[in-house]
Amino acid sequence: MELNADPFREKRILLVEDNPKDEALTLRALQKHNLQAAVVVTRDGVEALDYLLPAGSDAVQPLPQLVLLDLKLPKVDGLEVLRRLRDHERTRLLPIVILTSSVEERDILEGYRLGINSYVRKPVDFAEFADAVRYLGLYWLILNTAPPVS
Amino acid sequence: MTGVIEDIRKDYAGTLSGYLIEADEEARLHAHELGRKALTGGIGVLDIVTLHHEALASLGEAGSLPLARAAEFLAESLTPFEMTLRGYREANDELSTANASLEQAKAATEAANRELEAFSYSVAHDLRAPLRSIDGFSLALLEDCADVLDETGKQHLRFVREAAQDMAALIDGLLSLSRVTRSELRREAVDLGELARNVFAQLRRASPGRTVETVIADDLLAEGDVRLLRGLLENLLGNAWKFTGRRATARIEIGVTQAGGERAYFVRDDGAGFEMAYAAKLFGAFQRLHSATEFEGTGIGLATALRIVHRHGGRVWAESEVGRGATFFFTLWSAGHGA
Repeated sequence: MELNADPFREKRILLVEDNPKDEALTLRALQKHNLQAAVVVTRDGVEALDYLLPAGSDAVQPLPQLVLLDLKLPKVDGLEVLRRLRDHERTRLLPIVILTSSVEERDILEGYRLGINSYVRKPVDFAEFADAVRYLGLYWLILNTAPPVS
Repeated sequence: MTGVIEDIRKDYAGTLSGYLIEADEEARLHAHELGRKALTGGIGVLDIVTLHHEALASLGEAGSLPLARAAEFLAESLTPFEMTLRGYREANDELSTANASLEQAKAATEAANRELEAFSYSVAHDLRAPLRSIDGFSLALLEDCADVLDETGKQHLRFVREAAQDMAALIDGLLSLSRVTRSELRREAVDLGELARNVFAQLRRASPGRTVETVIADDLLAEGDVRLLRGLLENLLGNAWKFTGRRATARIEIGVTQAGGERAYFVRDDGAGFEMAYAAKLFGAFQRLHSATEFEGTGIGLATALRIVHRHGGRVWAESEVGRGATFFFTLWSAGHGA
């Protein structure tokens, strides 16, 4: 796990992405809009679950403002990560956006059925991709009011 | 039937008494013939046994009759039943075998479909990711290293990006083509006019600068899968929209006519058109009749349209003249075109 997060920043995004190039592109897009400092990256489903639902009670990280979840992940895939997060009291209401290559109908349906907050396809054109990431960052970190943490 | 059984009863008793006196071939053949007559007359095995019993009783005391020979006669009269039964059994066996191979073929098709599904899924996910990198890092170079790249170098990177985006469009086209085959077909009432209005609105939003007169006929009710038919109109109207792009003003019409005695819907435009000599190539995947510099495209749209029409048991064809527009016709649920 790599912490790119600025500890003094209150708001952060958890990016769950196994492809290092996609990770670099996403960070580049966020950086352009001064959002990169708030990003934590996990590279597979297990890492993501460990970060959000740590086994011990020590060192519990505050929940991020937003999870950007890829679907095709090593070990535990994105939909399974989503299922476990929604099953758990701590992360039941956590804003989760699927950010993936696929627009297969079953992924979209299953995602919404499991309670995602949004589904965004990664455009191939980087200019569009950067726009998408910027909108997501602005919307979820600034415009949106997150559910209160109990 | 009562008539038939009475005839047989008399005939049977007479021939049997003759046979008991002398077991000749002719009487035996006649027993067979009686059985055949009974079978075609709808008379059952039990009726034969009963009238055999009655005939024996009328012929005298059981002890005085050659019963083994009587049994031979009865057996002969029953052989037509036996043979028919055997015929049924064999036909039944053949049917079972045919059913089994049908089941096998069905299982194989399902397995192939699952494989295609997995393949398409993988294409959707895995083939696009490298393209995103190619495009993204090319743009990163253009942005970050602009001062060390000369104009030729920058142009090369722009070509790299264009190629990546072209390939992404191709992949999307292939996926939608395969989705037509994979998806389950629903049959419901569909208003093609309503669909056309939506598609036109979408096209207008995408190119607000265009002046296009759109004409939608009133009676465009059809039956089929609304999502696939929407895909069909997106392709046909989208093509009409694209190939009228060089005109200051254009006209696109969707309507219905009669062709070969059946209802044929059509999409007509006054755009670039094509040479009829190439009409046969029109609906093949990756076939293009215009260069990418004239009109962009992947060459998958009409292949998708063809597949959608075929799944609806219809035909699709086109008429055109270069420079004078094109008309695409399609039918749905034509006689003799199964889904």
